[in-house]
This record gives sequence, structure tokens and C-alpha cells, in this order.
Amino acid sequence: MSEETTVLAEEKDQSAEPQKWQPSILAILCNWCSYAGADLAGSARMQYPETVRIVRVPCSGRTDPMFVLKGFQRGFDGVMVLGCHPGDCHYAKGNYYARRRIALTQDLLKSLGIAPERFHFEWVSASEGNRFAALINEFTHKLEELGPFDGVA
Amino acid sequence: MAEIQDKIREEAKKALESGEVGVVIGWGAGSVPFKTTPVFIDKPQDADKLVWNPACTNNLAVYLTRWARDGKVGIVAKPCDIRSIVTLIREKQVKRENVFIIGLGCGGVVDTGLMEAGDVRMREITSLQWDGDDLMVTTEAGAVKVPAAQALREQCKVCHDRSPAISDVSVGDAVAPSEDLKIEIPGLSEDRQKYWQEQFAKCIRCYACRQVCPACYCETCFCDRIEPKWTAKKATTDEAWMFHATRAMHLVGRCIGCGECERVCPVGIPAVELARELNAVAKERYDFEPGDPEAEKPLLGAYKENDVDPAHHSE
Repeated sequence: MSEETTVLAEEKDQSAEPQKWQPSILAILCNWCSYAGADLAGSARMQYPETVRIVRVPCSGRTDPMFVLKGFQRGFDGVMVLGCHPGDCHYAKGNYYARRRIALTQDLLKSLGIAPERFHFEWVSASEGNRFAALINEFTHKLEELGPFDGVA
Repeated sequence: MAEIQDKIREEAKKALESGEVGVVIGWGAGSVPFKTTPVFIDKPQDADKLVWNPACTNNLAVYLTRWARDGKVGIVAKPCDIRSIVTLIREKQVKRENVFIIGLGCGGVVDTGLMEAGDVRMREITSLQWDGDDLMVTTEAGAVKVPAAQALREQCKVCHDRSPAISDVSVGDAVAPSEDLKIEIPGLSEDRQKYWQEQFAKCIRCYACRQVCPACYCETCFCDRIEPKWTAKKATTDEAWMFHATRAMHLVGRCIGCGECERVCPVGIPAVELARELNAVAKERYDFEPGDPEAEKPLLGAYKENDVDPAHHSE
């Protein structure tokens, strides 16, 4: 994590120059679906912003809300969690547990006053490489409109 | 109130004499008349140290995870404390057969800080007693009546469950909530992010909120871990944000809103606010209430196939 933030900090330094600012995204991906989807997007050479940082988890159910909170604390402009479509979980029901937890994480962020648009949750299967690339592009555009995240403190 | 206190002492004495419980946890007289302190009674003759008055604020359920681990303990509990016990039993932190609950009906407990803002000077108080909807405050100068709306703690004003959800012996009648007292807790300011930044900037990371919370029962708290280091120990606003945000997330479906975290906070952070909001969502969306003895599984330890899908409403 610290290494990544250093890289991101450097990127932010460059944004002082006339270069275009690109939002940093923390993407937490399930090993069995969206991570494979990201892989497919890569091997098919689909274009999406390189400012996305991917963390692979064994299942979206492994996504502790703290991962999301930590992402915002460390200054990511947006956090994204992608998991298998309901009913398609490799571990049968991990994504169902994730669904409640993630929904409540969204509500917590709302209560804390962080724009709900900065947190994105979506179901992406292993075959949806193009959808993965499209989602990252969409999310980046949305974050560009919102502007840089001014941090939690 | 004095009758109820006698009954509590009687039940505690009985339970200790019969050897049913090794210790009874209750409230005892504090060093000043407007405060009480938790007491642990282990001899029948000491049962007379137990008190019951409008200053019995502590949620004693916080002691159960340690005290009721290996043997049976008695506990004197208000309806809100019992909701905490229900949560602990559901989450398998305490065995039902290890607690002997002396349940009380409760009309609310007082916030002595609020009274001080009025005409009453705390140092002069000699006793506190409910008289209908008013609090009878006896001072050296004489008795003063303080309206409940001025004396009650915030969470007692909005409390709906004023009779014990579960108990082994019930002492005193259930007190019906008075309609007039349901005052709405003031909403958070419009700019939430700034509001919480201001609040968390005050945090000195003393962890009093965590220590006093019956729902914070983890043996090792995430913020005490070195690896992974979720939050640093330093008292900066962003680390405090991480601590309080995570704590709020951990309290979803557990916090029964006793407000102890707010009471003990030395810098006045409204820590219960976030958990209260999330629990309102849980109630509406998942029909789950933390203190409900009917709920079998913890909120996040269960799911329904038709749960709300966050993938669609984040658009």
C-alpha cells in the first residue's frame, strides 16, 4: 500500500504541471470473476486509464469495509469493488454477504459526507473484459467531473 | 424507587445465597449523590450496597464478556442494557445460561451535565428521584423539580423499549414512554464531511468509547494491531477518521444506542451518531434491530437473495 501511495503522490505532484490530472482509483477485484475480466481486458489490449490500482481478493466477500475506508484515508479519488454476479460466486454465497456489507459501507460513506459517486460497486464476470474496461473509463470520467478528492482530514 | 431498590437487593441476596451466581454486577453509590459506580457483589451481606436511582447510567453489559465466561453471574440491567445482552448472546460472546438477569423497567436516566446548565448546582445535590414526569432533585437548599425533558439523557428521550426484552426476574413495572418526550435528536449539519472533520479533529484517541462499549468485544481491536497497521497511534484527524469510521462499521447491527460512548468521551464526539444512522438503514432495508431477541443471526452474518443490490443504486 505504502509503495502505491508513493507512486500516486508522485503522480499528484506532476498534476501541478499543465499535464492533465487523472483520478486515482483503488479497484478491489474478486479473483474468480472481475480479476479475470481485467486480465481479459488486458490481453485483448482494451484501453483504460493506467491510474487504476488493482487489489486482488479471493472473493468479494473478503472485502472488509476497512479496505474501502483505508483507500479513502490514503487519498484515492475513488474506490471500486467488483464481484461475481449474484448466484455465480465461486464459494456459493460470498458475494451475497458482500452485498449487505458493501451496501452499508455506501451508507456509511454517505453519513461521513463523502460523495457516494466516489465509491462504485458492480458485478463483473470473467468474460466481461470489455465491460471492465468500460466501467473503469466511466468511473474515471465521473471522478474527473467530481474533481480531486480533498481527503478525509 | 426505594421499593425497587429493595427488591433488587433481595433478588441479588437470594441468588448469591443459593450459590446460583458467583457475583452480581450492579450499580453502587458513587462518591457524589448524582453519580453511581459499577459494583461487583460477591457476598450476600454486601447486597445492600446495590442502588437504583436516576443516575444509574452505566451499561453494565460491558463486563459480561469477561465475567460470565467461566461461570454464572447476576446482572442488574435496564431495558437498554438488556438489548446489549441480547446482542452478546446472539453473537455467541456470552451464554444465556451464564447470565442471571435482574431486569428493570426504566423511565430513563439523567444527564447531570444537562441539569447543571439549568438552575441546579450539582455539588449541592443530595438525592435524585422520579416524581411522575419530573425529576425531584433534593439539594441542601431544598427540593427542586426539573422537567424530564431537561434532565434526561438524549437517548432516553427517544427510547421506545422501556421494559426488559428478556430477564430471569423482573423488578418494577415497565414504564411506558411518554409521548411528549420523543424529541428528535438534532440532525447533522449539511456539510457532513466538514462536520466530521471538526469532530474527529478533537479526538485524542483515548479509546474510552471502545472500552465502555458492550458491542466492542473484540479481544484485539483492529486499532491495536501492528500488522496490518490499520490506523496509526497518532492523534491526527485522518487517523481518527479511520478509527471512528471503522468502529461505526463494526457497530452496525450491534449498537443498541445506549450512548455510553458519548457519555464517556472527554472531548464530546457524538460517536453514536454514525451507528445510529446505519442502524436506521438496517431496520428499514433488512428489518433488523440489534436488540431484538427474535433475530437469530447477526445482521452481517446473514443474507437474503432479494437483498437490496448496491450495484444498481450507486449509478
